Amino acid sequence: MTTPLTFTGVNFGLATPLDWDGMAARARALRRTKAVALYAFLISVSLPIILPYFWLVTIAFSARTGVADTLVLWRSMAVLVPAVIAFWLAAILARDRRQLWLGLTAIALIAALAFALLVGPELHLRNFIFLVEPDFASVVRSRVGAVRGAIQFPSVWRAFGNSLLIAGSQTVIVLTVASLAAYYLSRFQFPGRAAMLRSLLVLHAFPVLTLIVPMFLMLYWIGLLDTLFGVILALVAFELPFAIFIMKGFFNAVPWDIEMSALTDGASRRQAFLRVVLPQVRNGLLAVAVFTFIRGWEEYIFVFTFLIRNTNWTMSLYMYYVRDDVMGVDYGVVSAVGVFYLVPSLILYLVAQRYLMQMSIGGVKG
Amino acid sequence: MAKVEFRHVAKRFGEVEVIPDLNLTIEDGEFVALLGPSGCGKSTSLFILAGIYQPSGGELLFDGRVVNEVEARDRNVSIVFQSYALYPHMTVRDNVLFPLRFKRMPREEARTRVAAAANLVQVTELLDRRPNELSGGQQQRVALARALVKEPQLLLLDEPLSNLDATLRLTMRTEIKTLQKKLGVTTVLVTHDQIEATTMADRIICLRAGRIEQIGPPDDLYRRPQSLFIAGFIGSPPINMISGQAENGTVQVGPVTLPYEGVSGAITIGLRPEHLTFTGAGLSGRVAQLEPMGREILYVVDTDAGYLRVLEHGSVAAHAVGEPVRIGFSPDDALVFDAASQRLLAAARVGPPT
Repeated sequence: MTTPLTFTGVNFGLATPLDWDGMAARARALRRTKAVALYAFLISVSLPIILPYFWLVTIAFSARTGVADTLVLWRSMAVLVPAVIAFWLAAILARDRRQLWLGLTAIALIAALAFALLVGPELHLRNFIFLVEPDFASVVRSRVGAVRGAIQFPSVWRAFGNSLLIAGSQTVIVLTVASLAAYYLSRFQFPGRAAMLRSLLVLHAFPVLTLIVPMFLMLYWIGLLDTLFGVILALVAFELPFAIFIMKGFFNAVPWDIEMSALTDGASRRQAFLRVVLPQVRNGLLAVAVFTFIRGWEEYIFVFTFLIRNTNWTMSLYMYYVRDDVMGVDYGVVSAVGVFYLVPSLILYLVAQRYLMQMSIGGVKG
Repeated sequence: MAKVEFRHVAKRFGEVEVIPDLNLTIEDGEFVALLGPSGCGKSTSLFILAGIYQPSGGELLFDGRVVNEVEARDRNVSIVFQSYALYPHMTVRDNVLFPLRFKRMPREEARTRVAAAANLVQVTELLDRRPNELSGGQQQRVALARALVKEPQLLLLDEPLSNLDATLRLTMRTEIKTLQKKLGVTTVLVTHDQIEATTMADRIICLRAGRIEQIGPPDDLYRRPQSLFIAGFIGSPPINMISGQAENGTVQVGPVTLPYEGVSGAITIGLRPEHLTFTGAGLSGRVAQLEPMGREILYVVDTDAGYLRVLEHGSVAAHAVGEPVRIGFSPDDALVFDAASQRLLAAARVGPPT
């Protein structure tokens, strides 16, 4: 296998022949060690990030009124952490793809079994009482004897609907305005275009809280205080600049030729925009829609400041008051509300993931 | 089908004047090429024809009617773009159908027309695919089908072949030419590629900085270029240019003296590589480089009058690098240009040294 290295008859002074096999083995070992170290680091860093989500779900399904018991959390962790480490080991030790899948499946099965045994008996759905019982606060309090002074909660479905309405209509308005504005910015020259692009970004630099007082006064005078529409307008104003900027990047990527082609094919400018240009930026629209919707869904500051009546509560306000009212008594219910609040945005992200990945392709250069 | 006329058409973008004053008539059913280097105003002229740009001055006429302010969609003009500009979110069928959607046309007729257009450029079996599933040549054909389906009175081709590979380019250019003759549609080809222009067009309009440099059939531009610019622009491998000083019946080129007939002064002599031959007499030099091109061999010869390219037929080199040779040419083939005005001196004649 080994031959002395010579090049056009000149020996470079390598007295001993090169040990190719040995070098290959060393390189392999080094690669493997590096991978092991990297995974160890990534796992130790990501565990504290993942755990809160895991615990939130565990608590929502296991905590009982008036009982401050953390045993179940430790048990669930005792399943989760070894499982993650086992996955990591399996990934390192597996010699081929088949072994890897076998190993992962085995670990998943064992972990599921351990979870069912250790945590399973503790699981129940009673914390989700708020879904069916609007006056759940009194019910929860009565379990520990203190009934007085419970807040009058609206139905959670009402808050859910309000959140949906705010996030949904905000998304529709932002998409419509942003795509029109971004198209114009991308395609037309007009005086003040550069200044407008710059100011778009500056607008986005304002912390929302700084404008809370003037906006409160404005909404009060217009008469939109304590209305969902007022909150929607405020949200739209804050979301638009960035949405326009993102959309402009996507429009810039649509070649002029296609549009000109549509015009000579007999389309009007508007028809060309709707039928030819807009479908090209579909991914951008979807990405902006998802981000805008989730921004509206998680909105807290505006709704907290501008909405007063409890029939106008959104999910974030509902969650806030639940925490305020029953936290000391029942953190299981608080977690359950949290899980309920989390599910729609989680589903949206999962569905739209593919399109969100494309954001970087659209680019955001001015 | 239409006769197209530019009357003193000008186009400015802000301060930049792309076309100062264009006067041109394109006959009904003619295939003309707008040829010129990039930035010469050929694409601008094309977009003026299509109605995407409005001229800043002058008049554009279709069949004698001024169309300056007629919208692009009402002109019944089609463009085939260099990038093909197919609509990526539609199938080939919908792409070809697109121009018909804006006409009030019975569905049945639209379908027949799409089928006919697809058949014309042989893309019938591709109708249900998407543009990104097609090869360059197929996309080109689809773009042609889309352009032809509405039976335009004017077909505009914007560098239609430059994105194709060499073999396909050859086929497509024959096909486009045949198609144009068959349909008789007035066609304007815009290109910076002289081969594309000379092979396809009936007439070439050579543009330079927004002005017409010369108009004529391809062989005319090749054999009698009216200016140095055209002589240099048309022809591959390019023409040899030799600068000299003419007086008293001779031209002095470096140390060489050539017999000359014509006005005195600084001149430039243009000699096509294929018009130069290796002979016993003539300019002496040495072969500096050999470039076999298959059917021909290009010799670069270091002569007393500078480097000259000589094109010889045959695939076997008759002369080796370093070999001393002599180069001759016929006075009928030599083009003489005035060095100052760069215009052709039609009456002047120059011959090889005797």
